[in-house]
Amino acid sequence: MTKLFEPSLPKLMEALASEAQGLKGMDRRNFLKGGIAAVAGLASVQIIPKANAEPNLPPNIPEWQTYLGRGVVAKPYGEPSEFEDLQRRTVPWLTADAQSSISMTPLQDLEGIITPSGLVFERYHGGIPNVNPDQHRLIIHGLVDRPIVLSMDDLRRFPSVSEIRFIECPANGGMEWRGAQMEAVQFTHGMLSCCEWTGVKLSSLLAEVGVKPEGKWILAEGADAAGMSRSIPIEKALDDALIVWGQNGEALRPEQGYPVRLLLPGWEGNTSVKWLRRLEVGDQPWHHREETSKYTDLMPDGRARRFTWVQECNSVITSPCPEKPLRHRGFLEIQGFAWSGKGKIKAVDVSFDGGVNWQRAELKGLVLDKALTRFSLQTQWNGEPWLLQSRAIDETGYVQPTLRQLRDLRGGWSIYHKNSIHTWNVTEKGEVYNVQIS
Amino acid sequence: MFRSPKCGAFTAALLMSISPVLIAGPLGIGAPATAEMIAGWDIDIRPDGQGLPPGAGSVADGEGLYEAQCASCHGLFGEGAGRWPVLAGGEGTLDTAHPEKTVGSYWPYASTLWDYIHRAMPYPAPQSLTDDEVYAITAYVLYLNDIVDDDFVLNQETFQEVKMPNEPNFYIDDRPDVVNTRCMANCADPALFEIVTTINGVTPTAHFKEDSGVAANHYGNESSGAESVKVALSDAAVAGESVHAKACNVCHGAGIAGAPVTGDAGAWTDRIAQGMSTLNKHAIEGYVGKNGVMPAKGGNMALSDDEVANAVAFMVESSQ
Repeated sequence: MTKLFEPSLPKLMEALASEAQGLKGMDRRNFLKGGIAAVAGLASVQIIPKANAEPNLPPNIPEWQTYLGRGVVAKPYGEPSEFEDLQRRTVPWLTADAQSSISMTPLQDLEGIITPSGLVFERYHGGIPNVNPDQHRLIIHGLVDRPIVLSMDDLRRFPSVSEIRFIECPANGGMEWRGAQMEAVQFTHGMLSCCEWTGVKLSSLLAEVGVKPEGKWILAEGADAAGMSRSIPIEKALDDALIVWGQNGEALRPEQGYPVRLLLPGWEGNTSVKWLRRLEVGDQPWHHREETSKYTDLMPDGRARRFTWVQECNSVITSPCPEKPLRHRGFLEIQGFAWSGKGKIKAVDVSFDGGVNWQRAELKGLVLDKALTRFSLQTQWNGEPWLLQSRAIDETGYVQPTLRQLRDLRGGWSIYHKNSIHTWNVTEKGEVYNVQIS
Repeated sequence: MFRSPKCGAFTAALLMSISPVLIAGPLGIGAPATAEMIAGWDIDIRPDGQGLPPGAGSVADGEGLYEAQCASCHGLFGEGAGRWPVLAGGEGTLDTAHPEKTVGSYWPYASTLWDYIHRAMPYPAPQSLTDDEVYAITAYVLYLNDIVDDDFVLNQETFQEVKMPNEPNFYIDDRPDVVNTRCMANCADPALFEIVTTINGVTPTAHFKEDSGVAANHYGNESSGAESVKVALSDAAVAGESVHAKACNVCHGAGIAGAPVTGDAGAWTDRIAQGMSTLNKHAIEGYVGKNGVMPAKGGNMALSDDEVANAVAFMVESSQ
C-alpha cells in the first residue's frame, strides 16, 4: 500500500469526506467502505513513526496493544507494575545493623489512607522471627482467675473486629530534632503507616481469663530474638486495644508480627508488640528496657519523661515534597496526611509563607479515629518561592505546635515525639527542600 | 400461655440462642495454661526483684564472661564499638549538649539490666546464658559503672541493695505540654526567621531513582560501596549463609571489634592464608588477635562445630 495521505486521522477523514461529496448512492457507499478500509490499513500498517516520535504515544498504537497480555495466575500473588518504584527505604548510618533497625514507608507514593502491607515501615530489635503459626501460642496469665493458652485457631473463635488505625514509631522525625537533615519525606515522616487491622478486642480476652481486682498492668511480650516487652496499663487494654492477626485483608505480614500482634491505637508503635506470645497481668509496671533506657524522653534539665505513649497530632505535605517537586506552573493541588493518636482530625491549615498566614485546607475521603487523614488545598503556583507548611488540629482541640515551641520546652535531645509543623522550601524552579525555621 | 417452669426455661434457652452474643464472661475458648508452661515462658523481672531466680554471680566471674560475650560490641570498658550501645560512663551529661545515656547515667532500675541481658543478650544468641552467668554479667556492668564494688556478688538478696543513681529523675508523661493556637493571619514575624537547611551528604540516595526529585545536591556524596558479585559457593558455604546471617553478620557485616568484613577480600587475604583448619579452630574455640576479639562461635554456643565451619566457608568463599 502506498502512502495516500498524510498520516493524520483528522486530515484523512477530511479528505475522505470531500471526495465523497462528489459521489451518490451506491457509489458513495462503496467509496466510504473502501475509504474506511484504507483508514484501518493506514492505522495498522502505514503510519510509521517518525524517528524522533514516541512509538507508544498517539497517533501510534502502543506496542502493548499489539499482542496478547499476560493471562490469569501468571502471578498468583500479584505485585505492583514493574514501572512503579515503590520501596521501603532505610538510613544506613542510623543503626549498627539491619536486625535492630528501621525502614520507612514511601509516604510520597501513597494514593490513599491505607498503606499497602508490603510498604508498612519496619522496626525490629532482633530481626523478624520465622514463626510457624501452628506452633505459636499466646499465654495469658498472672493476676487472672483462669490462665489460658491460645492457639491461632482458638484466637479466631473469638468475636472479631476490623478497624483502620495508624501505627507510628515515636522516633518518627527524630533525626530532625537538632536541625534539618533529610531531603525526603520518606525519611522525615515515613516511620508511619495506616492499615485495616482485624482481630479480637483485648478486653474480650481479659474477660475470658477474668482479671483480678489488683490487676492494673499488663506485660506484653513478643516471640522475637529481642523478646520485646512493654508494660501496658489496664485502662488502655480495656479501652481500644486489639490483638490482631489480619492486615489489609490478609494475614499479618511477618514484618508486622505474623501470626499475631498487639495493636494499641494512637500509641507509640513500640507498644504494639509483634509476634505476641505472652500477656501477664500484674499490679505494677515492669520498667523493661524499652520503657526505661529507650522510649523515654530526655528533657533539657536532664530529667526524663516515661510512659510517653500517645502520638500527638501531626501532619505533613506529601505533594509537593523533595521526592515530588513541582514540574508545572498553574493549577496545583497541595496534598498531605494528618493524624492524631487522640482521635479524629478536625481541620488542617496550610501556610505558604512559613507560618505567618494560614488557609484552611479540605479534608478528603474518610476521616477516621486514629487513622491517616488526607487533606488538600487547590491553588496556583507560578514560580514564586514558598515556605510551605501544614498544621493539623484534632478533635480534642490540640493544635500541632511549631518547632520552636517544641524545642523551647523539650530541648534537642528527647529523640521521640517530634510532631512539630514541618516546612518545605519550594524554590522558583519548583525544587523542594527540607528546611527548618527557628 | 407459658406458665409452667419448663416452658419458661425453654423460652429462655431459645432467646439466648438467637440473641446477639454479648460477652460478659468466659466463652470457654483455649486450654488452661499449666504452671509448667508458664514457668518456661515467664522470664520477666521487676524493679522490686519479682521474677529473679535463685543463683548468684560475682563481678570477678562477670569480667571474663563480659569480655568473651559482650566486649566485641560494647567495648572492654562498656565504651561501645561502632554504633553499638555504650554501657558505662556518661554521669553528669544528661543536661548538657551531649548527653550520654548509659546503664549508670540513665537506667533507673538494675532489674532492667538483669531482665534484658537474660532475654535478649548476647545479641546473636538470646536466652543462651545461665542464670548465674546473667547475675555475673549484670554485676560486672554495674561495676563498670561504679555502682558496685569489685568484690560484689549479685543474688536475690544483694539485688535489693543496688540503687541506680538516676532513678529519681524519671517522671510520668505530662503532655500535652505545648499549647499552640490556631492563628490564621500575621502569626509570626518573618523578619525573625532563620532558615536552616540540610547538610549535604546525609540523606541516603542509593535507593532513589536519579530523577526522583530527591535534591540533586545529595547525589555523589556517598561512597558507592563494593559492587556485589555473585560467586559460586560450595555446599558447605551455601549451608553456612544462613548461619552467617544469624550469628556472624552482627560483627562481620560491619567490621565490629576488628572482625574482617565478609566480602572484603583485602581483609581476608592473610587470614585465608592461614588455612581453613586454623580459621575453623579460631571460630569454634575463640581467638584474641591484634585487631580484636573473636568470641567462641561468635558467642552463640548453641551452634554446632559444623555449622560454624559452614559459616566460615561462606565468609571465606565470599571474600576471595
